Amino acid sequence: MRILAAMSGGVDSSVAAAILKERGEDVVGVTMKLLPRAATGFGCCGSPADVDDAKRVCEALGIPHYVADMSERFEQKVIKPYVAAYLDGTTPNPCVECNRSVKFGHLLHLAEAWGCGKVATGHYARIIDGRLSTSIDVRKDQTYFLYTLTAKELAKAEFPVGALTKDEVRARARTLRLRTADKPESMETCFVPERDVRGFVASRSESAGAATLMPGPIESTDGRVIGEHSGLASYTVGQRKGLGVTSPDPLYVVRMKPETNTLVVGDENDVMASSLVAGSVTWTAGVPASSVRAQVRVRHRHSPASAGLSLNADGTVLVRFDAPQRAPAPGQAAVFYDGSFVLGGGTIMRGAIQ
Amino acid sequence: MTYLDHNATTPIRPEVLDAMLPWLRDGYGNPNSVYSLGQKARAAVERARESVASLIGAADQSEIIFTSGGTESDVFAISGAAWQARAEKNGRGTVLATRIEHDAVRGQLSELRHRGFDIGEAPCSPDGVVAVDALRASIDERTIVVSVMHANNETGVLQPVAEIAALARARGALMHTDAVQSLGKVAVDVKALGVDMLSLSGHKLNAPKGVGALYVRRGVRLSPVLTGHQEKERRGGTENVASIAALGVACELALRELKSSAAHALVLRRRLEAGVLKISDARLNGHPERRLPNTSNFVFSGVDGHHLVVALDLEGFCVSSGPACSSGASLASHVLTAMGIDPGLAAGSLRISVGWGTTEADIDRFLKCLPVAIGRLRSVASVA
Repeated sequence: MRILAAMSGGVDSSVAAAILKERGEDVVGVTMKLLPRAATGFGCCGSPADVDDAKRVCEALGIPHYVADMSERFEQKVIKPYVAAYLDGTTPNPCVECNRSVKFGHLLHLAEAWGCGKVATGHYARIIDGRLSTSIDVRKDQTYFLYTLTAKELAKAEFPVGALTKDEVRARARTLRLRTADKPESMETCFVPERDVRGFVASRSESAGAATLMPGPIESTDGRVIGEHSGLASYTVGQRKGLGVTSPDPLYVVRMKPETNTLVVGDENDVMASSLVAGSVTWTAGVPASSVRAQVRVRHRHSPASAGLSLNADGTVLVRFDAPQRAPAPGQAAVFYDGSFVLGGGTIMRGAIQ
Repeated sequence: MTYLDHNATTPIRPEVLDAMLPWLRDGYGNPNSVYSLGQKARAAVERARESVASLIGAADQSEIIFTSGGTESDVFAISGAAWQARAEKNGRGTVLATRIEHDAVRGQLSELRHRGFDIGEAPCSPDGVVAVDALRASIDERTIVVSVMHANNETGVLQPVAEIAALARARGALMHTDAVQSLGKVAVDVKALGVDMLSLSGHKLNAPKGVGALYVRRGVRLSPVLTGHQEKERRGGTENVASIAALGVACELALRELKSSAAHALVLRRRLEAGVLKISDARLNGHPERRLPNTSNFVFSGVDGHHLVVALDLEGFCVSSGPACSSGASLASHVLTAMGIDPGLAAGSLRISVGWGTTEADIDRFLKCLPVAIGRLRSVASVA
């Protein structure tokens, strides 16, 4: 089968393509150019150095390689909503959006146009009997970012490295003498330079004086003003460092009140949540009965917590944890698991975390 | 694999390869050396110079300067003329060209603009022919040089170079033409065109990459770009003997076969165009007649040109789209937009150029594959 391998220029997608090639597939490499030319100085997906790496890996594997410009789509579907979320006082999850709208939204269409039956990526995840499942390497598992994939999309997806550990992937790359074998991993949001979220949001905000970029009061949970914050877009629920307020006990961001530009802080107990509501829900493995038991992740690498899910009439899901969980943040994903299988997930809604 | 992109580059013909190999083996002498090994290399370079001169109808072989290719020739002609005028303080400070020139020329124009020269770029008609009237109005006693390509590389449209050359020379300006794309496909004669300078390139003529030439009419003085004593102190650097010898043989072949190769290309082009235009919403760009016999440029509504090129490559066909293919961006071509074609549509352009070795069977295979690829891209574009 002809398979389109999405190649970021990193080790995981390099090995993914190599595995398919070894299996005898007709592999076609593609690197998505996600950022406009001027912005690609810092080693992100589709930056010139990464494109070169992907190209040279493909050449070594003996497969063709192309670049597909998806910067316009990435801008509309990922960057703009990301900026809008911060301006709205929530913490967006751009990787979920990128997978939903770009990698498996658009790239699957392109694959079809190029006569490819499937799209393969270097994600750490598995597809078992058509169901999205966690990877062998639990520390690397990326299903948290893939819960939006529909059954139809999963039928056309391949995650060749999901059955390997990261160490095995690197070892495989070294054996194959791939130039990306020891390439460091990128951990930051790929389009935000220097991890400066606030600076990026400010530079992309249409109104320079957007409220969530302006300083405002820091309040304790009982309503006392105890300091000043530098703009809500600089903070995430659960954050402890960088609050600039001294206190005998550690303080954490409990919530943001964009309507009054207030950052509410409290102690560790204040950030514990016993329930939350997730909206924009995708049931990747099909819609379940009105209530179901599951394990829920509220952030990447969060150890899944047992919970009861109740489906509301409006499509949202009430998640009641068996034991309180630390700092679910509005805008982040809540992903539902049944053991290693992904049931679905949604976006944590503001004002509904208890 | 079926190669239908002869305007991008061409295969090296076996006769041409044979002509260059001796100079890569035992004949490695420097043509500027005194001893006989050098003399042999010098003789090869001068034989090639004669062959180039006779292909373009130059009066004297000393009017041919070997360069590294079309880009260097263009840069040498335009910037050489511009800086010479500035050195002579002759009161001239304007460089005129057109909106459809190759990037080799456009890049130099923008460089010269930054260096304080006035630059003018003439528009073209919807069928891709440069507007002579616009140039007539702008050429004056301040004009240093007018540069108009002989045939456009994307559309193949032939330009009224002789007419414009007459206007330029009447006002004492120099005339340059980039004939990289037309040489070997139609007759190119520097006297008939009335040009002072003409750029040509080896790899568009079944010779290797990295070699070209600039014709400079006797008496025209250019400020050098690469200084050095070679090429009568006009272009420094040890001559690329093997490639120059190859260019010479390629020019001899082109001269001998011009009529038959042009007729062959025209048959193929007509067959191709008749087939492609059966596809719905397909349109041919450029003047229907005044065109190189080997070049066709189409747009297909609702199709991204870059994605189409990839789809066709995966089926074994080499063709090209807009000017920025390798970057993955389907930019609208500056040539097509200058012709008034909507940028969205221009981003879906496809250029097919036939040449030495192309057969009717190649065209027929391509015509079988193209509608399928376009159909797929269109059906995906409608849901994406």
